[in-house]
Amino acid sequence: MNDLSPSRQPVPPHPANAARIGIGGPVGSGKTALIEALLPVFQRRGISVAVVTNDLVTAEDAERLRRSGIIDPARVLAVEAGACPHTVIREDPTLNILAADELDARFPGLELVIIESGGDNLASTFSLDLVDWWIFVIDVAGGGDIPRKRGPGVLQCDLLVVNKVDLAPHVGVDLDAMLEEARAVRGGSPLLATACRAGINIEAVADAICAAVLIRR
Amino acid sequence: MDASALLLALRFGDTAFPSGGFAFSQGLEGLGAVSGARPDTDAIAGFLTEQVRHRWGSAERVTLVQCHRGDGDLDAIAALDHDLDLSSFSEPLRLGARRNGAALLATHLRLGTPGAAAYRARVADGAAPGTLAAVQGLLWRASGLDEASAALLAGYQLVTGGLTAATRLGLIGALGAQQAMPALLATVAAVCAEPVASDAEPVGFSPFSDIAAARQARLPLRLFSN
Ligand SMILES: Nc1nc2c(ncn2[C@@H]2O[C@H](COP(=O)(O)OP(=O)(O)OP(=O)(O)O)[C@@H](O)[C@H]2O)c(=O)[nH]1
Ligand SMILES: [Mg+2]
Repeated sequence: MNDLSPSRQPVPPHPANAARIGIGGPVGSGKTALIEALLPVFQRRGISVAVVTNDLVTAEDAERLRRSGIIDPARVLAVEAGACPHTVIREDPTLNILAADELDARFPGLELVIIESGGDNLASTFSLDLVDWWIFVIDVAGGGDIPRKRGPGVLQCDLLVVNKVDLAPHVGVDLDAMLEEARAVRGGSPLLATACRAGINIEAVADAICAAVLIRR
Repeated sequence: MDASALLLALRFGDTAFPSGGFAFSQGLEGLGAVSGARPDTDAIAGFLTEQVRHRWGSAERVTLVQCHRGDGDLDAIAALDHDLDLSSFSEPLRLGARRNGAALLATHLRLGTPGAAAYRARVADGAAPGTLAAVQGLLWRASGLDEASAALLAGYQLVTGGLTAATRLGLIGALGAQQAMPALLATVAAVCAEPVASDAEPVGFSPFSDIAAARQARLPLRLFSN
C-alpha cells in the first residue's frame, strides 16, 4: 500500500514548517545522486532533513534512499505522479504539499524537506506554492548544448547544477564553454558544476541551500 | 442552475483547481491485470459505469449529499465520514479516498474555505477519516455550491478522472474518451436523480472495481496512487 496513507499517529494541527526545496531536471542527470551526496553533509551540519520523491512508475528512488543507510527510511516519502511529473510539481502540487505537511507533522524540529521531481524535460519548473527555492540539475553527458536550448528549467531555477563534470572528456564536451554558455543564458544567476559520485562541489551546493533557506545556520 | 452555481461547479471541476485527483485511477490501472487483456473502450466504460452506479452512486454520493446537508456541523459530518470509511471494503480505494480528501482539504485550507482548518485538525487527530466524499460535501457547501450541483460535480469528476487516467495509460485516446463520455454522464445524471433519504446508509458493492484496485496495488510498475 501507499506509504502516504494517512498516518494513525496524532499530528499537531499547526506544524512548524520546514523549508522546502525542489530538485528537478532531466532523467538520469543525477538528482538522486545529488541528494545522496547532500544528506551526509546536512547530517554533519546538524540539519534535520526529509525527502519526498516523485518517481514516475515505481518507488525506485525512494527505495534507493531508504536502503542507503544515510537517512532514516521513515523520512523518505514517495508520491506517485499519475504519469504527470510536470503537474505534480507545478499545476497541481497538492500531493507533494500533503507529503511535506505530513513530514512536518511527523518530525518535530524538521528543518528541510527536499522534493525530487520525477525525471522530466527542460521545461519542468517548480511552483512556488510548493517550494521556497529550487535547483535544476543537468549533466555534461546530456550534451554541451543543453544550456543553449534555454529550457524554462535551466533559466528559471534558483540554482543550476551542471553535474557529471568528470565525464566531460569522455563525451566530447568542452566544459568551460558549456558553463560559460549556461552563465550567459542565466544572466549571471547562480550555477555550480558538480560531480556527485566523486563528491566534487557538494559542500558548495549545501552552502547555497543553507544561505537561501536556512539562513540561521 | 444559476450563473454563479455553474461558474462555481466549473471552477471546482476544472483540472486547474489543484486537488491531487489526477494521481488516482480508482483501480482502473489494475483493470488489465484482472481481465488478462488490454482494456478497450467498452471495458473502460463498463468499469466506470459499475463504479458510478454501484459504488459512488450508492455510497460516496449518499455521504456527500448528507454532509452537504450537514451545513458545517462537523460532528455530524465526521460521523457520516466514519460510516463511509467503514463501509468501504477495498483497502486501496478506502485509503485513496482518505488521501484524496486530505488533498482537497489541504487546498481549501490554504484558500481559507470555512470549516477546512477545523476539519483538517480533526483528520490530523485521527478523529475523522476525511474521505473525499465527506470533504466534498463540507467544503462545497461552505463554498456556496448547491446540493444537486455538488453531487453532479463529484460524479463528473469520477468519470473524467477515470477517462483521463485511461488516456494517460494509453488505453484510449482523448477523442475516444470524449466518445465514451455522453453515456457515462447520462449514467451520472440518472444516478443523481435518485433522492437521498436523510437516514440512507452508504452501501457500495462493486467487487470488480475492488479486485482491480487490489491488483493495481500489487503491480510492480504503477503510475497511479490507486
Ligand atoms: N560519472 C558520473 N555519474 C554520475 C554522477 N552523478 C550521477 N551519476 C550516475 O548517473 C546515473 C543517474 O543518476 P541518478 O542520481 O539516478 O539520476 P536522477 O536524475 O535521479 O534520475 P531519475 O530520477 O531517474 O530522473 C546513475 O548511474 C549515477 O550513478 C556524476 O557526477 N558522475
Ligand atoms: Mg532520481
